[in-house]
Amino acid sequence: MREKPNNPLALKTLKVWRITATMECFFFLLIPIVYVIAGRYVELPQWPIYVLVIVVFIIGYFKITLFPKLQWKKWRYKIYENEVELMYGVFVVRRVIIPMIRVQHVDTRQGPILRHYGLSSVTISTAATIHEIPGLEEVKADELRDHIAELAREADPNE
Amino acid sequence: MSDWKRQHSAAIFIGFLSSIKEMLFTMLAVLIFGQSSQFGGGWFYTIFFALILVFSLANGIIKWATFKYKLQENELQIKHGLIFRKSRYIRKERIQSIDINAKLLQRLFGLVELRIETAGGGAEPEFRLIALRREEANLIKTELLKRQAIDIEGSIDESAEDLKDIPASDEKFTDFTWELSKQRLVIAAITSSGIGIAATFVAAITSQVQQFIPEAMYERVIGWVIHSSVLLIGFWIVFILLIGWIISLISTLLKYGMFKIDKRDDEIHISRGVIEQRQLTLSAKRITAVRLVQNIIRQPFGFVSVYVESAGGGRKDEDLSTILIPICKKGEVNQLLKEVLPDFVVEKAYEPLPAKSVRRYIIRLIIPSVFVATLLVYFFNWGWITIIIPLLAGAYGYWQYSSAGIGIDGNNLLLKSRAISLTEVILPRKRIQAMKSTQSLFQRLDDLCTIHVSIITSIVGKTFSLRHISKDQRDHQFSWYSYEEEKENIKGESKG
Repeated sequence: MREKPNNPLALKTLKVWRITATMECFFFLLIPIVYVIAGRYVELPQWPIYVLVIVVFIIGYFKITLFPKLQWKKWRYKIYENEVELMYGVFVVRRVIIPMIRVQHVDTRQGPILRHYGLSSVTISTAATIHEIPGLEEVKADELRDHIAELAREADPNE
Repeated sequence: MSDWKRQHSAAIFIGFLSSIKEMLFTMLAVLIFGQSSQFGGGWFYTIFFALILVFSLANGIIKWATFKYKLQENELQIKHGLIFRKSRYIRKERIQSIDINAKLLQRLFGLVELRIETAGGGAEPEFRLIALRREEANLIKTELLKRQAIDIEGSIDESAEDLKDIPASDEKFTDFTWELSKQRLVIAAITSSGIGIAATFVAAITSQVQQFIPEAMYERVIGWVIHSSVLLIGFWIVFILLIGWIISLISTLLKYGMFKIDKRDDEIHISRGVIEQRQLTLSAKRITAVRLVQNIIRQPFGFVSVYVESAGGGRKDEDLSTILIPICKKGEVNQLLKEVLPDFVVEKAYEPLPAKSVRRYIIRLIIPSVFVATLLVYFFNWGWITIIIPLLAGAYGYWQYSSAGIGIDGNNLLLKSRAISLTEVILPRKRIQAMKSTQSLFQRLDDLCTIHVSIITSIVGKTFSLRHISKDQRDHQFSWYSYEEEKENIKGESKG
């Protein structure tokens, strides 16, 4: 039996996901707001406002509280000498092996929120696929990037 | 060494006609859908089509007039463009392959098209000279390839290592030749799976016929069809299928007639076609996967067609994969592959999927079929006959399950599955870019997974999947693929 990868994402990633989800939910909140504004000009029934607000709050609960937590719990990665293994997904569990010698390049990316928490997301590209580790501490991310770059230099493309 | 030359003046017409050909579908769509709308009138169409024709012709002339090429010592120089002038230098070392095609349009003028494929993933990895006399094309081809061969002999570039046992002569000898026999061609045409597509096409055209027949007659015909029996509708379906079959028969004959493979060192030269003669050069080293496909008509007779996925060199018009052998007996595959692609010769040791997964295969097909059956009962009162649909779907699911298999032979991963045709994929370990397994909630109940294997093909990656394998099988594939000798943990500090 193959060992499962055991490194979780940085704990702060959870915070970042929650912030992003909160912002998205504010966007959803615009829908009832628009409805209220529209109600001033056109005759509209009152009850959909409450329904919409409740729906937004339910979505918000799932997106902000429950789902990121499950997702974070399920996320595992492991970096071996010769390959990277990822395991993630709440409903559909995905497990990926990416051999170092197949890696074409590694990017680290930081949005403003990730930067605020000192995190990076690492994207690993092969010639055919792209994989992302969404939240690693900056130091670790850079280390990983350099490590893979080094291995890529040594790697013999014909194995 | 030579001056700037233009292509043969027939390039104007070839360019013109091929741009018309490209726009044919747009024009047909405008014609068909436009007529039923109220928009515009006869004038609109006249002007619309006249503009297209004039524009295409002008475009053809300008392209021909501005397109010039020059064969130089080490390279082929090309300049083109009226407003934006582009020049391009195709250096001979960068040339991967040169193919001479005679497509329908070229054949009208007795000309050929020269297609040069260069290495590297630039914006345009291939380049075409669309109208050349055959002698001229041959001259360019031999000139560019000749110097390349000489150069390889003397230099130590990266590919030299693998090519060093090439004889120094310009003429590369052929290691292996295979031709598709006439008899096989006929079998291929008869059993071609193009029926489905062709029949859809025929059906689509028949449905548009109403545009062109008088309304009274149309109404009479429709009334007749509606009142006629199921038998007659059945007759129509058979008729459409028959026409579809004839179309696919002829197109297969024309497409794969005179099919020939030449293997020279690492290069596989494929030439084919009766009216449109095409050449294609593939490098054996860039083949990333081999697919053996048996459609349901061919399977009982033991016939199989072989496709290859190639990193570069594939054709856009062939679904990103290229046919290597249009048809052969199943037992002959390994013999042929041994000559053409020895790395892909495998012992077909498939492990069946676990018994648990039969449920998943059956349920997956039954659910939509129950839905369809319900609709039929609700809207058409079809009654008891609809029970057949889920039953058939279930049986088909069982068939898919029993056809599927997974296996490893040395350095190759084998996946076998059936959508409609039975497909076997041979994937060498070193060509696999990443291996992934997914497990949905339903699969978790039975401890099953789906495996996804990604490789490079000419444009983007391609992923082959096999549904509902057992977890043990998954672990087996993973450990086969894994590049970790021992499960030592170098960098993965387990910190939270």
